[in-house]
Amino acid sequence: MDSAITVKGLVKRFGSFTALDGMDLDVQTGQVHGFLGPNGSGKSTTIRVILGLLRADAGTVTLLGGDPWRDVVPLHRRLAYVPGDVSLWPSLTGGEAIDLLGKLRGGLDESRRAHLLERFELDPTKKGRTYSKGNRQKVAIVAALSSDVELLVLDEPTSGLDPLMEAVFQEEIALEKARGRTVLLSSHILSEVEALADRVSIIRDGVLVETGTLDQVRRHRRSHLRVELTRVPDRLGDVDGIHELAVQGTTVTCTVDDAHTADVMSMFASGGIVSITSTPASLEDIFLSHYDDRLNGTSSP
Amino acid sequence: MSALTGTPILLRTAAHQNARIVAPWTLAVTALSVTSLIGYRFVFADEASRQGLAMTIGSNPAFNLLFGTPYDLLTEDGFNAWRSLALGGFFTGLMAIILVVRNTRADEDSGQAELIASSVVGRHARLAAAVQLAFAASIIVGLVSAIVTMLFGGDPSVTIALSTTFTATGFMFAGVAAVAAQVGSYARTASTLAITVLGASFLIRGFADAAPGAGWLIWWTPMGWTQEVRPSTEARYWPLLICLAFTLVMVAIANGLLARRDYGQGLVPARPGPPRGRGLLTNVWGLALRLQAPSIVAWSIAFLILGGAFGYLASSLGDVIGPDSPFAKAFASSGQSIDLAFAFVLILLQIMGIIAAVYGVQVMMRVYAEEIDYRLEPPLAASLARWQLLASHAVIAILGPATALLIGGVAISLTATDPALTTGNLVRQVLAEIPAVAILVGVSVATIGARPQVRLASWAAVVATFALTILGPLFNLWDWILGISPLWHVPNVTDPDMSVGSIVGLVVVAAGFVTIGFLGFRRRDVR
Repeated sequence: MDSAITVKGLVKRFGSFTALDGMDLDVQTGQVHGFLGPNGSGKSTTIRVILGLLRADAGTVTLLGGDPWRDVVPLHRRLAYVPGDVSLWPSLTGGEAIDLLGKLRGGLDESRRAHLLERFELDPTKKGRTYSKGNRQKVAIVAALSSDVELLVLDEPTSGLDPLMEAVFQEEIALEKARGRTVLLSSHILSEVEALADRVSIIRDGVLVETGTLDQVRRHRRSHLRVELTRVPDRLGDVDGIHELAVQGTTVTCTVDDAHTADVMSMFASGGIVSITSTPASLEDIFLSHYDDRLNGTSSP
Repeated sequence: MSALTGTPILLRTAAHQNARIVAPWTLAVTALSVTSLIGYRFVFADEASRQGLAMTIGSNPAFNLLFGTPYDLLTEDGFNAWRSLALGGFFTGLMAIILVVRNTRADEDSGQAELIASSVVGRHARLAAAVQLAFAASIIVGLVSAIVTMLFGGDPSVTIALSTTFTATGFMFAGVAAVAAQVGSYARTASTLAITVLGASFLIRGFADAAPGAGWLIWWTPMGWTQEVRPSTEARYWPLLICLAFTLVMVAIANGLLARRDYGQGLVPARPGPPRGRGLLTNVWGLALRLQAPSIVAWSIAFLILGGAFGYLASSLGDVIGPDSPFAKAFASSGQSIDLAFAFVLILLQIMGIIAAVYGVQVMMRVYAEEIDYRLEPPLAASLARWQLLASHAVIAILGPATALLIGGVAISLTATDPALTTGNLVRQVLAEIPAVAILVGVSVATIGARPQVRLASWAAVVATFALTILGPLFNLWDWILGISPLWHVPNVTDPDMSVGSIVGLVVVAAGFVTIGFLGFRRRDVR
C-alpha cells in the first residue's frame, strides 16, 4: 500500500525553540490516520509543514508524491484542510466563505454542500463574526468535506462541536473513508480516533513515540484485570508484572504486563478464581502511558 | 457596586500592556519640538535669515495649511510653536484614538474583553479605563515634550503652553474615539470613524488658516481651539476650556451609548447576508477587493474632498501669490520660470502623495493583520500560489493610491481657475508622482512580504519622506539629503526641459522593493 504522506526526520525550529525534533509520520492511502498528542506537542506544526505553510529546517516531507513546499498549487488541489481554530472573515457570510474556499480549491460538489449544511444544521447567511466557535468550525468542515479531494487534513476538527454534531462528524468521516479518501485526523478526543482510525501515531515533544494499527499499539500493553478469589494469596504485590494493585475483600483489581500474564495467572489460580474479567488497554491508557511523568501524583510503572 | 467598579485594576493592567504604544508617540512629538528648536538655532542664526524665513513662510499658504498661522517666526520658541502645534496635536490625537479603540472595541472583537466583563467589574469600567489610559498617555506626551524641550533651552512659558495643547488634543480625541467605539460594529470601523474626524478637523483648521476669509472656521474645529492658545505670543489658556468641555461631552455621549448597546455589537446590528458566494467572490482577487473595499471607497472620497479644497485654495490665493508677493520673489530668485499657482499646487500634490502612501501602506498592513488572525492559512491551504495571495493585495496597495491621487488631481483642476491648472497638466503631474508614491508602498510590500517583523520600517519611510519633503526645505538642507525622499525626484511636467529619466529611476526602485517582497514571501513561514 502506498503512502499519502511521508514525513522523515522532520525538524522545525522557531528561534531557539525546537517544535519538531526529528518527527516521523507515515499516512497510508485510503486509511484514516489518527494523530495524537497533547496541546503544544507539535501536531499543528507538523500539519503546517505538510501544507507547505512552514518550511522544514531538516528532514523530508512527501505529500501525495510531491514536495509540499515546492508543488503547492497542484498538491493543494487534491487536499482539503480544516484548522483547529477557524478564523473567518468578519464581513463574509458562512456561505460565502464556503464557496470561496471551494472555488480556491477548484470547485465543490453542490449536492454535498447542500447535504452537509443540512446535516450540520448550519445557517449560511450569518456573518463570520456572529458565528460561535462550533459554528465557525462547521463552516470549515462543510467547505472541506464538500470538495472533491483525495486527502483530508483535519487538525482537531471537532473542537467546539456539541456531542450531537460530533456524532454527525464521525458518520460523515466514516462515509469519506468508504469513498476511499485518505484522512489525517489530529485530535485529542481519543474516543473519536478509536472509532475512526485504522492507524494511529502518537507525538510527544516533537518526536514520534508510537505508531501502528490500533491492535499493534495495544500489544505489549498492560490489560486491566478484575478477579474474584476465594482467598487472596499473600505477597501478591511482589509478583513481577502486577501494577496498580487494589484489594477489596476478596476482589482484586490490577493491571498486568502482557509478558507476565502466565506468572500472574498461576498466582491467582493458587487463590481459587471465582470469576475474572480482562479488558485490553484503551487508547487512553496508551496515550497516558507516554505522558505519565507529566501527570503529578499518579502511579508510574 | 457601581458601574465603575474595577476601573483602577483595569487601568493598571492596560498601562502595563500599552506602554510600548505610548513610547514611540511620546518620542515623535518630543522630537518634533526639540528638532524645531535646535534646527532653528543653527539654520537661522542671524536676524536677516529670520526675517527672510518670516517673509517666505508668511506668504506661503501651503505652510499655513499644514502648520497653521505663524504668529512669531523671529524667535526659536515661536518657530517651534508654529511648526509643532498642529502636527504634535495630530500625533497625540492619533495615539489617543489607537489606545481607546484597542482597549475597548478590539478587545471585544477578539473576545478578550469577555473574560474581563464577566469578572467583578462595572459595566462602564472598561470604557473608563481605556479613556483614562488615553488621558494619562496624553499627559505623558505633554510632560515629556515640555521637560525635554525646556532642557534644550525652550522658553518655559511658550513650551508649557505648547505642550498643553498636545495633551488637550489627546483628551479630545480620546473622547471622540470613545464615541466611535460605541457606534462602529468592529474595531476597524471605530478607528476609521475616529481618524476621519481627526483628519477632518485638521483639514478644516488648515483651510481656515490658508484660505482668505475663512478665518472664522477656526472656531469650528477642535484643532482650531488648540491653535488659538497661541503659545508663542499670548499663551492664553481659556480656549483649552472649550477643549475640556468638548472632551466631557464626548465621554458623556459615549457612556450614554454604551448603556444602550449589547456587548460585542455596534449600534447598527449585523444583518444576515447572502448564503452563496457569487460575483467577485470567486477567487482571491475578489476576496482582497472585498476586504479592502471600505478602505478604497473611504480614501477615494477623502481625496475627492482634499483635491476640491486644495483647488479652491490654489485659485483663491491670487493676491497672496501674485507676482509681487515674497513667495513669487523667492521663486524668481531661484531662477525657476514656472506658473506660481502650479508651483503651489506641486507642494499640495506632495502632501497628497504622502497621504496616498499612508493609504497604500495601510492596505499592506491589512495583509499582516489577516496573517496574525490566521486568515491567510485557509486560502494558502487551498490551491493557490503564494504570489497570487500577496499580489491580490499589493495590486490594490499600488493602484488604489494611484487612483485616489488621480481623483484628487482632477478635483483640483475642477475647482481651480488658474490657467495653468488644467486637467491635462494635473493628470500628467499626478502620473509623474505615482512612481514615487509606489516606492513608499513598495517598502511595505517588501517588509510584509519578506520580513513582517520589520514592517514598521514602512511607516518610518513615510514619516522620513514627510520630514524631508515638507520640513527639510525649511532648514535649507543639502540636496543629497533631500534627495533621499522619492518625491524630490518627481519632475515638474510643465517644465519644457523635463527629463523622463528620473521617472524611470523611480519606477525601477519601486519595482525593486516589490520584487523583494514577492521573493521573500515565497520563502518564509506563514502563520
